[in-house]
Amino acid sequence: MPRIHLGDWVDSGVDWLVGHLSWLFDAVKAVMEGMYDGLDTLLAAPQPLLMAGILAVVAWWLRGLLAGVLAFAGFALVDSLDLWDRAMSTLALVLVATVIALVISLPLGVWAARSKAVSAAVRPVLDLLQTMPSMVLLIPAMLFFGLGTAAGVVATLIFALAPGVRMTELGIRQVDAELVEAAEAFGTTPRNILWRVQLPLALPTIMAGVNQVIMLGLSMVVIAGMVGTGGLGGAVNEAIGQLDIGYGFEAGVGIVVLAIYLDRVTGALGTQLSPLGRRAAAKARTRAWSYRPRPAVALAGVVVLALVAGGLGVFGPSAGTSEASGTDVGKGKEIRIGYIPWDEGIASTFLWKEILQERGFKVSTTQYAAGPLYTGLATGQLDFQTDSWLPTTHAEYWTKYGKQLDDLGKWYGPTSLELSVPSYVKDVDSLADLEEHASEFDGKIIGIEPSAGMMSLLKSTVLKEYGLEGTYDVVDGSTPAMLAELKRAYARHQPVLVTLWSPHWAYSDYDLKKLKDPKGAWGKGDGVHTLARKGFTADNPLVGRWLKDFSMTEEQLTGLEARIQKAGKGKEQDAVRGWLRDHPGLVDKWAPVARTGTHSEAAG
Amino acid sequence: MRVSPRLEAEHLFKVFGRRPDDAVERLRRGADRAELRADGATAAVIDASFSVEAGEIFVVMGLSGSGKSTLLRMLNGLLEPTAGSVRFDGQDLTALGDRALRELRSRKISMVFQHFALFPHRSVRDNAAYGLEVQGVPRAERERRADEALALCGLAGWESSWPDELSGGMQQRVGLARALATDADLLLMDESFSALDPLIRRDMQDQLLELQKTLKKTIVFITHDLNEAMRLGDRVAVMRDGRIVQTGTAEDILLRPANDYVASFIQDVDRSRVLTAGALMDTSVTADAPLCGCETATRETPFTELCALSARLSHRVSVVDGAGRVVGVVPRQRLLGFLGDEATAPVACDNPEGKVISHA
Repeated sequence: MPRIHLGDWVDSGVDWLVGHLSWLFDAVKAVMEGMYDGLDTLLAAPQPLLMAGILAVVAWWLRGLLAGVLAFAGFALVDSLDLWDRAMSTLALVLVATVIALVISLPLGVWAARSKAVSAAVRPVLDLLQTMPSMVLLIPAMLFFGLGTAAGVVATLIFALAPGVRMTELGIRQVDAELVEAAEAFGTTPRNILWRVQLPLALPTIMAGVNQVIMLGLSMVVIAGMVGTGGLGGAVNEAIGQLDIGYGFEAGVGIVVLAIYLDRVTGALGTQLSPLGRRAAAKARTRAWSYRPRPAVALAGVVVLALVAGGLGVFGPSAGTSEASGTDVGKGKEIRIGYIPWDEGIASTFLWKEILQERGFKVSTTQYAAGPLYTGLATGQLDFQTDSWLPTTHAEYWTKYGKQLDDLGKWYGPTSLELSVPSYVKDVDSLADLEEHASEFDGKIIGIEPSAGMMSLLKSTVLKEYGLEGTYDVVDGSTPAMLAELKRAYARHQPVLVTLWSPHWAYSDYDLKKLKDPKGAWGKGDGVHTLARKGFTADNPLVGRWLKDFSMTEEQLTGLEARIQKAGKGKEQDAVRGWLRDHPGLVDKWAPVARTGTHSEAAG
Repeated sequence: MRVSPRLEAEHLFKVFGRRPDDAVERLRRGADRAELRADGATAAVIDASFSVEAGEIFVVMGLSGSGKSTLLRMLNGLLEPTAGSVRFDGQDLTALGDRALRELRSRKISMVFQHFALFPHRSVRDNAAYGLEVQGVPRAERERRADEALALCGLAGWESSWPDELSGGMQQRVGLARALATDADLLLMDESFSALDPLIRRDMQDQLLELQKTLKKTIVFITHDLNEAMRLGDRVAVMRDGRIVQTGTAEDILLRPANDYVASFIQDVDRSRVLTAGALMDTSVTADAPLCGCETATRETPFTELCALSARLSHRVSVVDGAGRVVGVVPRQRLLGFLGDEATAPVACDNPEGKVISHA
């Protein structure tokens, strides 16, 4: 069979689109982000419990008292988990994606219902969109729209489009042909047949589709979190990345609350919108717990709550209390840091977040996989990242993106990459010993993310050097999965072979052996570099200089890592703050500013 | 002066499937349905011609698959004929564009469906007002007219109900009211009573006839039930395999079936309900006035009544016209003959005096 270079065609197609249609993508992006920002601001503006009240009144109106109470309890729970802002941004993301999905899918569904040709053409496209693994679509979406909301919305949208189109088409096709004929026989125009007969009768089915769209959108939120949409998806993603089961569960519960709320509310909305459903509901309504206020009452409730929210002055957060001191050199300027969930990356990222915030910058940190991180940096979506292992481990990324990046130098080194086993594993001390002990390890090397530079080095060079290619399989996975496997095997005293690197806190937690590398296959140690987007140092000369001069000792780094590890997910910055308090003077050393006395910013 | 017919169909063809025009050409040359089907074309209606007078109920009768529903849908342009023309009030429907056709349907032609086709998301009143809504009649007026139409169909008081709260018969009354509300002159009824129980069906037939006495609509009624056709139809067209095989009054069809197919069809018909004195009478006997003061019949007197009359009289029943002239007579012999489907004259008896012969 000839090799069909489908991948190359797609590649060049995507390149062409990025090159020639960027104006279009920018426009789409602007619209999406505008919608999202507006909605997010609106949802997050009132105090959480007030907003929960508003959402509960909506549920009360649509479904009854019990639903309203449960909705309030659910959202109060989300707030008490300290996930309110994330939940609201997820809600905004899902709603924006849903609205756009419906704007596309409803007309398409109507069209498909009216034309067999369109239906036949649309169906395989929908199949493709729905079944294509979402990560595959996420990367091009990122190239088109950059990191952040727009890419997330698009990824969610694409996934959620299909049920909207399908259910609309189905709903319309299901309408009794005799009714359509009756409408025709009385001289109804095709447009009115659609509006007066087909759509009203198809409404329950269409609303079931809308419901599906929302549910699929929510399920896509986690994946969208990988491209930096933040919200609950981002939280779940970070938790997974750092094996923080508790935090992941909390964020998951937040998503579940949102999902149930949206599912029930849209379901009830379907009933309310369709005349038939309304009639059935009117017949059934009697009980106290299913008592529902009239729409006017519900609207009044929402308005009153909103006014209370406004009266409390909680619309629009009051200006942050900026520290009135000479150290405020950032003056609220925004800096975006991206990081890979590796321990030294987390430590240095939150260290710099804390330092820069103390210096008056507004800092956002977002977690990515290595691929999206480099893409984001190269396209200028991010300002810098502190966890680039050069020259060896991240060599591939450097070759691909190096021209669009500035290397601000190494801040830690040398590092080393290695395969490690627990020290209770006898007779295995060097890579050369591995071949004869393959059965002990089931022929498996527990790897980390396949995108990690270390993995390709392992597969392409190290295994070959030691003749392990036939005897060992490298298991692709993730750093947390590798650590979980290590933890499990260590607890049971079983032999396990993992990819690991130094520095790593695992060496202080477990008694591990680094396997010697007599042939030097792993190469010389890397340095951990800080990379910035092209132009960042020109825009921020002071920060650029700080980053260039930055360096940490092993003791400092492992100490900070251990501190963060102990504090747990979501408390990284507190850990950094505490650690800095224990090591006074470091901030001024790493981020020196000329003290100019009593120069007050806040007074102005 | 002869009034031009309200609705006129001339050489209508409808062929579904491939190359319909070729198929029509072949049908004209005498090809039959089976030949066409082999080539992927289905001839639903073949060379149908008829005319319907104003105020007449014209029934198209045929078994399922005979093409009667297709024929009906060509009369209001829901289906475009493959060949032939439909003229309504002198206007050729086949020459009209979509917009003009819709306008015509909304104002002049309405339709009643087999399964009622009421809109489940509209109240009874809104259903009845649907045609007026399409016409753009203001809400207050269309509701008033819808309520009138509903009252006419015996549904006063049900205006605010919903279709699914009504029985089948009542739903079809709504369907009828919806068709009547627009004041359309032409009413197309597609097996409108077929889905109803026999008793309700009879009620509906009676009500339609009753309404027709005052409304004088032009009605084309489709049915597969010959009894219904005979009861309702001023004239009946019998269809078979896409062709109209006979058109005529109920009596024409009953007494003079055009072919074996029609004859076999009418076997089960209850003649006593259809036949009237006019069809039965012996017209060789006429007079300027009845010879005695006994009861007389008119041409329209139904068969059963005629039998009762004949039983009360000692002689033949005289049939008189409006002016009191005797236009024919009905001997008892003839009544029994029709009932028993026996048209020949009585044979001579070998004991005409009827003496009782004793066999001692």
